[in-house]
Amino acid sequence: MNIMSPATPLRDRLIASETAMEATGSYDGVTELTLRKADPLRYETLHTKLRSFCVSAREMARRISASPGVREVGEMVVAIYTPEGDAVALSNGIMVHVHTMSRFIKWMIREGYETNPGINPGDIFANNDAFIGTVQVPDVMDVVPIFHGKELVGWAGAVCHELEAGGITPGGDVCLAQERFTEGLFVCAEKIGTNDEIRRDYVIRCERNLRMPIYWVLDEKAKVASCIDMRESVLSIIGDVGVDYWRQVTKEFIEEGRRGQLLRTQQLTVPGVYRGHTFYGHVTEGKPGFQPLGDPNWLYGIPIEMTIETTGKITMDFEGTQSWGYHSMNCTPAGMDGGMFVTLTQHMNFEGLVNDGAWMATELKLPKGTWTNPDNEFCATATSWALLLPAFGVFQRLLSRGFLARGFVEEVFVGQVNSPMIEMGGESQYGTQFGMAHFECAAAGSGALAIKDGLDTAYVGWNPESDMGNIEIWEQNMPMLYLGRSILPNSGGQGKYRGGNSFISTWLLHKTSHLRLVTSEHSSRVFDNAGMCGGYPAPTCQLHRAVRDTNVAEVIAAQKPLPHGIGTNPKRSTIEELIEGDHTTTEGPYITAPHEAGDIFSHAYNGGGGYGDPLERNPELAAYDVTNGFVTEEAARDVSGIVLREDAKTDKMVVDEVATAAARKVLREARRAKAVPVADWLKDEAKRVAAKDFVYEVRRMYESSMTLSPRFAGEFRAFWKLPKDFTFTEKKVRRISASISPPKQGAHTS
Amino acid sequence: MTSYSQEVISNLMSGQLPWHQTKRIMSAYKDEDRFWKVLAVHQARVAWKERILLPIGEHLFIVQKGRKRITKCDCGHEFGDYQKNWKLSALISVRKDEESLREIYPSNDICHPDWMELREFICPGCAALLEVEACPPGYPIVHDFQPNLEGFYRDWLKQPLPGG
Repeated sequence: MNIMSPATPLRDRLIASETAMEATGSYDGVTELTLRKADPLRYETLHTKLRSFCVSAREMARRISASPGVREVGEMVVAIYTPEGDAVALSNGIMVHVHTMSRFIKWMIREGYETNPGINPGDIFANNDAFIGTVQVPDVMDVVPIFHGKELVGWAGAVCHELEAGGITPGGDVCLAQERFTEGLFVCAEKIGTNDEIRRDYVIRCERNLRMPIYWVLDEKAKVASCIDMRESVLSIIGDVGVDYWRQVTKEFIEEGRRGQLLRTQQLTVPGVYRGHTFYGHVTEGKPGFQPLGDPNWLYGIPIEMTIETTGKITMDFEGTQSWGYHSMNCTPAGMDGGMFVTLTQHMNFEGLVNDGAWMATELKLPKGTWTNPDNEFCATATSWALLLPAFGVFQRLLSRGFLARGFVEEVFVGQVNSPMIEMGGESQYGTQFGMAHFECAAAGSGALAIKDGLDTAYVGWNPESDMGNIEIWEQNMPMLYLGRSILPNSGGQGKYRGGNSFISTWLLHKTSHLRLVTSEHSSRVFDNAGMCGGYPAPTCQLHRAVRDTNVAEVIAAQKPLPHGIGTNPKRSTIEELIEGDHTTTEGPYITAPHEAGDIFSHAYNGGGGYGDPLERNPELAAYDVTNGFVTEEAARDVSGIVLREDAKTDKMVVDEVATAAARKVLREARRAKAVPVADWLKDEAKRVAAKDFVYEVRRMYESSMTLSPRFAGEFRAFWKLPKDFTFTEKKVRRISASISPPKQGAHTS
Repeated sequence: MTSYSQEVISNLMSGQLPWHQTKRIMSAYKDEDRFWKVLAVHQARVAWKERILLPIGEHLFIVQKGRKRITKCDCGHEFGDYQKNWKLSALISVRKDEESLREIYPSNDICHPDWMELREFICPGCAALLEVEACPPGYPIVHDFQPNLEGFYRDWLKQPLPGG
């Protein structure tokens, strides 16, 4: 272990720790787990206690919070750190921030905070600046130092996702932010309290700059309470084991976590190079509020090459992705690290010593200038998750290829999904001003597994505790009443095992004269949640349906049916069938004029990708799906070749085995008849590529990739046998707008 | 050490194991002999004799064929050298208009064909759908997986690589 006097300045201790790791390959120079070897029971018991401190502190804090995001959905995590800022133990919850908080602590140490503003017992530091260490502006973190006498022996930290951040649009994930200056209230590694008390002037700043300060301020109190609780528990432990033991055991915990990750990779995967990609469509052309700072529409390509070495080290390389932009979807390296951490904790590092050690066994290659590592710190990161989630969904599929190859089929998982969020602000049902992010989005569909269907309405990557919250709680917090919250049929990707379904909420606006509805992380025009091994991607984000000037009062008075969802006819929704008024169907982020009481609005979340060939799906699974409304009879028949009929006695669907066999034979033969050899297809496609016969956004995507990455450019030209000087760079580009206008298929309207 | 019978592993692979048993396997420490059991199950299921070295997909394997290592479908179709992308030797069907996309997505929203297409890679032997790529037109076909077979057998399995 790196032996430094407790009196050594923190910055020197951090540098010494990093130098020791470079020299030995082991965390902090810990080459032997001597305490573990000497008394494994004492060692393991201590870690279990630390973990229970974290879990207990988080649960206590959730009862202090006023935010339904924290109370209901659990958008919080807490952790205990070494003096140098490496996570030793953590709670459940939004674990992505365990590592972003580590970056925050290290940033303060490197910036000389020990001297000015000083790090003293009872101090409270806060941050929500992603370039210092968080993911996005609503992720506000608090840390307090843990002093044993005069010695700093660790940190306790807590993060809550705030439902309102005071940005240009209401909510936390400020969709409309195109630069840092419109994202909302920033707290940049600031000392916000002393003597265990939050400063009054800081609270006043929050109260004056937020639409709904009660969420943020009570979350601050909840976080500080949890940090103090953990601090006192740690000091109690040190009283039991002694400070020398504490200093060493925390380092050994992290080194064991690092070694455990390497061994787990060797146990569960196969070394080699894995590749995959996903895409995200950002469509804002013609929408009110977006400033003309750059292209209004973006097609992001996110190719990932993952290498697993025989040492067990995992490297993820984002070479070939696009530049950062004037939108809110950029991500800092801190956010990328956090994405890696939270994915690892779910898929490989879910047992034993879960801490920063696992992250240390991996490496991210984030090309400078791309959305993963912007070279402009003015850029906005308020909706980093828009690109982060599909990216780490790819990571899960790449890992899953390794699990499949190694035979651990039960771990194969098609991955987390990107799913849009709805936020709002204006006049509440109580006649007050308010703002809020609606966090029922924390319960999307998951990707399929290799042995079963994905989870319906029960998973998101960023919080494995996925929970949509009770309708009644949400109705207390916003001026909208639920007309329905229901499974969206066919929203999981088709496959031998289908992706998990998502749900759709349909609301009637109530007791408000002015409600701004905004959605974020809303991908358009592309499937961003892919399938695997023959499974199809989940459908795209659903378009938004809204109705103004409705006759809903008359419909209710006449006791006629109300719409509870959009139905299954893509040409005409149930809302259109049952309600009269000014109907709109909107593509992309929902940014429009304010709504008022009597309006109707629907918003859907995303399902996960499918696994395996749909023609191999067990017909009994389809019968269950159709009976229960997860899949339509039409989809079961046309995609999987499963013919069902209703049993008159039970009202349940049953399989017509003879008709199913015949239908599958027809579909398989049709598939074969339609297909061509890839070599033939490539010849025709190469001509199209050489002619650059693509819409502007596709050309722009290739141009950005080839400009930022000579490697991508070389591979692209080699694949299509293009000349060495081939480029998509154009002196004058034609900005298309045709694809925004009402389309012929009714799928993309604005 | 955790270990399961070949029958249990076979049922797990087929999705036929009762959920409570599957859940226990997911939650338990992993069985160190899993790879060999899975290979044995796969080998017993295929009608051909070449030795399976590594599964790489739902239907695809890297197998030892004489002195060569090739990618092979469980139906028997051979895609050639395992180090080359098998997709380039497959059949392809591309969905890039509303009519063909609606066959898969009858009720929900779909990609815009100007921005994205679905590429279905199909086995020439059995017409199984092996992979689906969702990407913009013009995107190079991805080589999903290039395993380090030698390193895997030598360093992790501690076994000689057949034919090596």
